[in-house]
Amino acid sequence: MTALRVALAGNPNVGKTSLFNELTGARHKVGNYAGVTVETREGAVHERLRPARPLTIVDLPGTYSLTPISEDEAVAFRCLAGEGQPPPDVVALVLDAANLARNLYLAAQLIELGRPLVVALNMIDVAAAAGMPVDAAALSRVLGVPVVPTVARTGAGAAELVAAICSLDPVPQVSSPLRARLLAAGPSALAGLGADPARARWLLSAAAAGTLELTGATAAERAALVRLDAAAVRQGAHDLIVARYREVDALLDALGLAASARERAPAMDRSARIDRVLTHRALGLLIFAAVMATIFTSIFTWAEPLMGLIEDGIGWLSGQVKDGLGPGVFTDLVTDGVIAGVGNVLVFVPQIALLFLLLGLLEDSGYMARAAFLIDRLMARVGLHGRAFVPLLSGYACAIPAILGTRTISSPRDRLVTILMIPFMSCSARLPIYVLFISALFPSDESVGPFTVGSLILLAMYALSTASALAAGAIYKRTLLRGPTPPFVLELPPYRLPRVRNTLLHVFDRTAEFVRGAGTVILAMTVVLWALLSFPRPPGPAPEAAPAAMSEQAAADDSPIQHSIGGMIGKAMEPALAPMGQDYRMGIAILGSFAAREVMVSTLGLVYGIEGSDEDDQPLREALRTARNADGSPRHTPLRGLAVMVFFVYACQCMSTIAVVRRETRSWRWPLLMFTTMTALAYVMAVLVFQVGRALGYA
Amino acid sequence: MTLADLELGARARVTAVGGAGALALRLLEMGFVPGTAIALIKRAPFGDPLEFQVRGCHVSLRRAEAAQIEAVPA
Repeated sequence: MTALRVALAGNPNVGKTSLFNELTGARHKVGNYAGVTVETREGAVHERLRPARPLTIVDLPGTYSLTPISEDEAVAFRCLAGEGQPPPDVVALVLDAANLARNLYLAAQLIELGRPLVVALNMIDVAAAAGMPVDAAALSRVLGVPVVPTVARTGAGAAELVAAICSLDPVPQVSSPLRARLLAAGPSALAGLGADPARARWLLSAAAAGTLELTGATAAERAALVRLDAAAVRQGAHDLIVARYREVDALLDALGLAASARERAPAMDRSARIDRVLTHRALGLLIFAAVMATIFTSIFTWAEPLMGLIEDGIGWLSGQVKDGLGPGVFTDLVTDGVIAGVGNVLVFVPQIALLFLLLGLLEDSGYMARAAFLIDRLMARVGLHGRAFVPLLSGYACAIPAILGTRTISSPRDRLVTILMIPFMSCSARLPIYVLFISALFPSDESVGPFTVGSLILLAMYALSTASALAAGAIYKRTLLRGPTPPFVLELPPYRLPRVRNTLLHVFDRTAEFVRGAGTVILAMTVVLWALLSFPRPPGPAPEAAPAAMSEQAAADDSPIQHSIGGMIGKAMEPALAPMGQDYRMGIAILGSFAAREVMVSTLGLVYGIEGSDEDDQPLREALRTARNADGSPRHTPLRGLAVMVFFVYACQCMSTIAVVRRETRSWRWPLLMFTTMTALAYVMAVLVFQVGRALGYA
Repeated sequence: MTLADLELGARARVTAVGGAGALALRLLEMGFVPGTAIALIKRAPFGDPLEFQVRGCHVSLRRAEAAQIEAVPA
C-alpha cells in the first residue's frame, strides 16, 4: 500500500514541531525547495502509533496564512495546492486551542482550498487552564471536518489523530457549507482569474501584495491581473480577508467563545506578567544585554575547547597518515589537502551547534521575539528588522554560524543585506592578525592616558569594522537591495518551557546541513589552496640542508613556499602591493589567508622560514621587527602594519564564508559580489592608510 | 485617530486599514480587521515598536505601521 502523504500546517508557535516529532518518532529528512531557503521536513508515522496504513508526514513552514506575502507562505500554498508536485492526500491543521480567534483564519483558507482536512486541536489543556475550554465535537460540527484534541508536549491525542487521518475519506470536500459560504464571498476582481477558486484568491492577494513573483503565475494569469484596476485588486484582497474573519467570528459565536477569545487574551496573562520584567524599559534592556553576552561568549569562548579538540584530532590523524605513508607528495595531498580540508569544515561545528542550541532554546521559550521587540528601534535606523541583531552580533565571533543564523529573518531581501553585512564584523579569526602586528610593531610601553597604544589600535579596528558593517547595510538597502521596508508585524508568543529534544533535533539538522552543503566547497578549496602553495617544489637541496654560512635573511628568502605558484603570484602582485606599503611576502600571506584569516600568520611564518608559528610566536615577531629591505630600511613599520590590519578589517579572506554564502543564497552571484567589493574596499583603504600616513611623515 | 495615537492600556476598535501592498494585507490577516477591539499593552524601551493585544494574541507593530490602522476609542 502506498503511503498517504499528510501535510502538517499551522501557525507558528502552536506546537507543530512537537507534534511532528511525536508523530514521526523524530525520524525525518530535511527537504529544501529549489531556490528558497524554507525548510520542510518529511517523515513516516511511527509504528508505535499503529497507523492503519502507511503515512508520510510533511511538515510545512509555520504560517499565519496562505496569502503569498513571504516565501514561507508561498511554499506552504504551493505544497498544499500541488503546484509542481503531487498535492498531499490529507491536510492536518494544527490549531492552538487557546488562540482560536486568530488560528481559525488559516483554517478558513485551508477549507477554501478544499483538500481533505483533519484538525489537531492542540494545547487544549492550556485553553482550559486559561478559562476558555474548547468543545472539540462542537468545533468539528461547525468546521465540517474531524477535530482531534491533542497535547503535543505529552503526546496525548497523537494516536487518535493518526486514526482520524487513516479513516478519512480522501476525496476533496466540495460540499462543506462553510466552504460554500467562504467561496460565496467573491469580489468581482476574481472573475477571469481561472476556474480554481483558491488559486484565483491566491493570485489576487499576491497582486495586491506586490509579490506575484512568489506565485509562479502563468503569462495568461499575469495578463488578466494587469488588466484589473489596482484599486479593485487591493479592495478585493481586503474584502477576502474581512470575509474570512467574518466567518471566523461566526464560528467563535457558535462555540460560545466570542467575547473571551476575541476581546481579551487570557492565555497571555502569565506571559504579560513575565514581560513586566523581560521587556521592562530598564531591566529588560539589562537582561537583553546579559542574554546577548551569553550567546556571544558561547561562540567566542565556550566553543574554543571543542574546536581545539577537533584540531588536535585532525592533527593526530595527519600524524598517523604521515607515519603510515611516509614522506611524499601523495602524503602531503592527503594530510595538508584532504584531512586539513575536513578539519576546516569540522572546526565550525562547535560554534554552529552552540549558537543554534542557544538560539533554539530562546526561540522556543518565546524570548527571541521579545529580543527583536526590544532592539528593533536601533536596527530600524539601518533599515533592518530587530531579528537581524543576533546574527550581526554573532559575526564578531565567526561569520559562518552568524550567516546560518540569518534564517530567522523572514524577508529575503533583509536576510541578504544582513548576510552581506556580517563579513565586515571583525571575527575572532582576525584577532591573531591584529595581535601579531600590534605586538611586533608597536611599542608596548607607550600609552595614551591609561591605555596602551596597542589596545587603542585594537579598539579602533573593531570600531572601524562595526561602522563599516552598518554603512554597508545602509548602502545595500538604498541601492542593490532597495525595496519597501518589510512589515515588522511580530507576534510575541506566550512564554513556554522550551522542548530540549526539539531543539537538539534542529541543531543536528542545521549542523549536518552545513557539513553536507558547504563542506564540499570548503574541502575543494583547501586542496586547491594547498596545491597553489606547494607546487612546484623548490629546486635543489631542502632549505634545512642549506650551507650554515648562509645568512638568516637569505635562508628566509629561500623558504619553499616562495617557489610555489602561490609564491609566484605573490611576486607578480608586488607592484600592486607597493602602494599599500607591502612587498610580495605579504602577498603570499594574503593568498594563504584565504583558507581562514588566522592562517595568514602561519603563512607569513612559512615565508620567513618559520614552521608552525602563531601570533604569540617570538621568532616571527622578531623576524618582522628586524627584516630589512635591500636599502637597509625596515621592511615592517608601524604604518605598514596598520595598513595590513586595515586591509584585513575589510578583506573577505575566508573561503568558508564564501562557501556558506553560496549555500544560503543558492547562487555564486552574491558571494562573488561580496568577495570582489570587499577585496577592492580593503585594497583602497589600506592604500589610503599608507599614503596618508606617508604624507604625514611616517615611514 | 490611529492605533499609533492610543494611550498605554487604552482600547480602540479598528475602523479601516489604510496603505497599499503587503503591509495592509499582513495587518488584516493578523487580525486587525474592522470591528476588532485592540489594546495597547506596551511601548518598547526606545519608544518603538508598540505591543498590541489583538484577537487573543500579542502582536508588535512599529509606530509607522500602527499609524496605518484607523480606529475609534472603545
